[in-house]
Amino acid sequence: MMNWNLYSRGDKFFAIVVSVLVGMFTAATLYPFIYIAAVSFSSGFAAQAGKVVLTPIDSTLEAYKYILIQPEFWLSYRNTFIYTIGGTIMSLLFIIPGAYALSRPQLYGRRFLNLFVAFTMWFNAGLIPFYLNMRDLNLLDSMFGIIIGFAVNAFNIILLRNFFESIPESFEEAARMDGANDFQVLWKVFIPLSKPAIATITLFCIVARWNGFFWAMVLLSSEEKIPLQVFLRHTISNLSDDDEFAMTQLEAAYSAETVTAAIIVCSIIPVLLVYPWIQKYFEKGILLGGVKE
Amino acid sequence: MSGVKLSQLVKRYGDLEVVKAIDLEVQPHEFVVLVGPSGCGKSTTLRMIAGLEEISGGEVTIGDRVVNRVAPKDRDVAMVFQNYALYPHLNVADNIAFGLRIRKTPKDQVQKMVAEVAEILGLTPYLDRRPADLSGGQRQRVAMGRAIVRHPLVFLFDEPLSNLDAKLRSQMRAEIKRLHKRLDVTSIYVTHDQVEAMTLADRIVVMNDGAIEQVGTPMELFLNPVNTFVAGFIGSPPMNQIRAEISGSSNAPVAKIGDQLLPLPASADVADRMGADVTVGIRPEHAEVHSLGTSPLNVELELVETLGSEALLHTKLADTPFIIKTETEEHFSTLDQVSAFSVNPHQIKVFDIDTGRVLGQAGA
Ligand SMILES: Nc1ncnc2c1ncn2[C@@H]1O[C@H](COP(=O)(O)OP(=O)(O)OP(=O)(O)O)[C@@H](O)[C@H]1O
Ligand SMILES: [Mg+2]
Repeated sequence: MMNWNLYSRGDKFFAIVVSVLVGMFTAATLYPFIYIAAVSFSSGFAAQAGKVVLTPIDSTLEAYKYILIQPEFWLSYRNTFIYTIGGTIMSLLFIIPGAYALSRPQLYGRRFLNLFVAFTMWFNAGLIPFYLNMRDLNLLDSMFGIIIGFAVNAFNIILLRNFFESIPESFEEAARMDGANDFQVLWKVFIPLSKPAIATITLFCIVARWNGFFWAMVLLSSEEKIPLQVFLRHTISNLSDDDEFAMTQLEAAYSAETVTAAIIVCSIIPVLLVYPWIQKYFEKGILLGGVKE
Repeated sequence: MSGVKLSQLVKRYGDLEVVKAIDLEVQPHEFVVLVGPSGCGKSTTLRMIAGLEEISGGEVTIGDRVVNRVAPKDRDVAMVFQNYALYPHLNVADNIAFGLRIRKTPKDQVQKMVAEVAEILGLTPYLDRRPADLSGGQRQRVAMGRAIVRHPLVFLFDEPLSNLDAKLRSQMRAEIKRLHKRLDVTSIYVTHDQVEAMTLADRIVVMNDGAIEQVGTPMELFLNPVNTFVAGFIGSPPMNQIRAEISGSSNAPVAKIGDQLLPLPASADVADRMGADVTVGIRPEHAEVHSLGTSPLNVELELVETLGSEALLHTKLADTPFIIKTETEEHFSTLDQVSAFSVNPHQIKVFDIDTGRVLGQAGA
């Protein structure tokens, strides 16, 4: 900890401005979470009337009761886990070897292949051709289709490729002298050295999969295959279209707002649990001490 | 144990030839040091032997096998890198064992071999540590442990000590020498530090600009450099080189340095150059200042650099810088009054002024 008195006046001013900005940003990020959580625990009436600001009004668990008893909720929850875990593993299986290959100077046609990969970041076929492609591959309404169809992401490949490229060549050379083949160099040297980068793309994959909504909605038609986010959407539209529901909710302890909020809270919890676990892999300076420049 | 042979070895990057058809034979058990200025192609040569760099021409033979097309891992050589390249995610024991495990050595054997190497290198107390928690010298030792644990046919070192401070460097130098005595493995060692070369080598290979200038034992190179480049590279400080004109007679040639005369050893080569300019080479340690012999040369003393038992006298001889190395004992108080030196004619080298090649010496 620095002694505050050691700061010059300009530094103090700067520190204060930075703290204020960080504080504002934190509040802006945190507030929606708090708001959603508060709504989910409020009565439908209070939520609809827009009374909820920071804490639940007329606290109740009715919204949770409403969703937790629905088997479709649990099914979609399970599906989301399958898509997230399966999809992330599939992504890593493609991205890590792909990034490694693209990072090797001895790869024939490397410049062109790298350009090729980057190209897909800026241009893609678009909705209809992709849909037709998936149809022709017989991957419509298929859980495997969702998992493999979105496994490869150029941005993640390039991110990891750049990290691999920054690892000093002598690590690979030393491993080769030690008798390692390509696969062993990757598995025993590059992957352990790249933990922070791999943790980053793992987190990207998890979050993208967990929140994945659009393509699941487009490609999946069976109710028992949809992920949580699509279930959330169905619930929202059902609740607002449902006249009977609209009639009852004046007295009901829940409303479309509180139910939606409750589903969102349920869907956030796993990510909140996973994040700190992944974060410990964001070790800084893992290369420290291995080589001396 | 096997030797290493380079025949007409060439490395090209595009049109740039950085190793120019070198020939070298390293005997089994020999410790050979490649030395030369930065960029002369030492590392490239070493890496071609290791298999880390493609060979553009010629052959590398290890033992009696041409290895041009053999993968590094199958050449049975081990290399110590300048930057150590220790695996930061593994502790010392696992770093040393890495190659053994890759080669599927049985577990109990790995443990025994690692323990043995750790013992040799004094690493036993650090086996559980990560490289980041080691000092520079300890890291260096781990890097060597990784190389020796496999009992390879050949050790390759690429400036392994250049990241250490001076004291540690001399300590590790001695340790490498001891290690070589003990293991007796053919070693090729790259450095640009001629002191390292002199102290470690059975034979030194002086390289310059992708070619070999001279190969020989340290003393051969010190006493009989074949050209001004080697003379200027070996020795610390290196040989003084002064421009002079040959005069006198064929039987008793002298070098005219400014307006002073220095008797030279007689030789046909020198006699041939009567009246022409040459480069005269005198080792700093061969200049005698305390008991002057015949026909001493006058110098202008500029600076005395005291190193302890020895001192360097920075002087000017006919306006050319000239360094004299002398003992300090008994003479210390008179060092700043030195105004002349003499030199035994047989210790004087004469080089062609254009080609730099030594004159009047067998094979020159
Ligand atoms: N990939 C490359 N492309 C072009 N030239 C290269 C390449 N690698 C090395 N060189 C050149 O080859 C020459 C020899 O390099 P090398 O690394 O063998 O020198 P060195 O003798 O080991 O020098 P140092 O003492 O600085 O390590 C240098 O002039 C260098 O610029
Ligand atoms: Mg080098």
